[in-house]
Amino acid sequence: MIRRIIGLSLLIGLFFFMVEAMNEFGVLYNDEARLYFQTNGFLETGSLNLVTGIYLDYRLLDTLFEAGILLVAVSGVSWIAQHDHIEHNPLFMLDRFKIPELFVSIARVLYPIVLLFGIYVVFNGHLAPGGGFQGGSILATALLILYYIDLNKKTNLTRIFFIEKVLYLLLLLISSLSFFTRGFLFTNVVSPDMGVAWQSVFLITLNVLIGAKVALGLTAIFIAFLKEGR
Amino acid sequence: MNELIALGFQLFMLVTAIAVVFQKNNFTVIILMSVYSLIAATLYMFNQAPDVAIAEVAINAAIIPLIYVIAISRQREIIVYDTLHHGDITPGKVFEGEIYTYLYTFSKKNKLRLNVCSDLEGDDATLIREMNVDFIITKEEETYVLKGKSHHMLMKKMVKELKQHPHIRTELIEEGHDLD
Repeated sequence: MIRRIIGLSLLIGLFFFMVEAMNEFGVLYNDEARLYFQTNGFLETGSLNLVTGIYLDYRLLDTLFEAGILLVAVSGVSWIAQHDHIEHNPLFMLDRFKIPELFVSIARVLYPIVLLFGIYVVFNGHLAPGGGFQGGSILATALLILYYIDLNKKTNLTRIFFIEKVLYLLLLLISSLSFFTRGFLFTNVVSPDMGVAWQSVFLITLNVLIGAKVALGLTAIFIAFLKEGR
Repeated sequence: MNELIALGFQLFMLVTAIAVVFQKNNFTVIILMSVYSLIAATLYMFNQAPDVAIAEVAINAAIIPLIYVIAISRQREIIVYDTLHHGDITPGKVFEGEIYTYLYTFSKKNKLRLNVCSDLEGDDATLIREMNVDFIITKEEETYVLKGKSHHMLMKKMVKELKQHPHIRTELIEEGHDLD
């Protein structure tokens, strides 16, 4: 009991310390970079959503490494976890005792909506909050819900791993194309003089590639977990 | 006003975090964790970071609970391989051996589902290491032999309990390090 009280008081103390720190954070805040992005971000990248402008233009190299880390994680899971060439939905998903009827019926209604919303988030990444990673994970959720609804589902895991690697290579190729058009690596292929409409083509292409890659990677990890064991 | 609402959300988040630590039921823990990340997403929205909020909701409130649900529904079952071909253990049936009564009461006490099968092939070590079988039942003259992994939590419990049963002997199988 005494230990619990001590732990609780420590946690509450930590909480108030963090609230204090957040108040100080506003004072120390350095807004030089924010002002730069606010004034020049849209003109230089062609993206209304400045976050997308940063991760698909100024810091495209970081995004490539992030996608690469996901690729390495998926390859590691596929190497450790045992899986077949074509993976069936396992039998224990049939057990209505573990997966409630309510969840299944609501999932049936939600599945197309979630899928559509994921595609919307991917395609509108440069106009509204969202983008490849977020939309990809929403798409992955939709694909995973399908495993609770459709019990006869089969997945070709080898093909998923292959497509994911090809998408990563395409991502590298398209993002390094700017070396030939503008003279330096890892930025928008289209120069800002040609207009926002042409620049957004590049942004949409990269967002779609990243979204597909993330969705496939997360789905592959989930399926590998399903199979592990008997 | 906004700051007060944010403070209230932070306090609620702290309460959920503590509840996750003290909660015993695994499914409730999953729900509490997704509640925690939903509050975190709301706080991100308060600090004008909608992109981060979307990522938080999509990953921590949707995908991770789905994976955890699968992992936990795996945990609720013990798979027993019966070499004596006695078939399934049902509550209404008269049991032929002491070990079946014991396994039935053990699984009921720990709220696990007992899955007895007798149609597997392979030697004991590969069955336990690769097919995810928890226990194997064999018989030597009058005593039953219960084989299981040496690091298995349930096996450690059983070894303690089975000291009172003279007709059941336990045998531990070391887990292999053949992957290294």
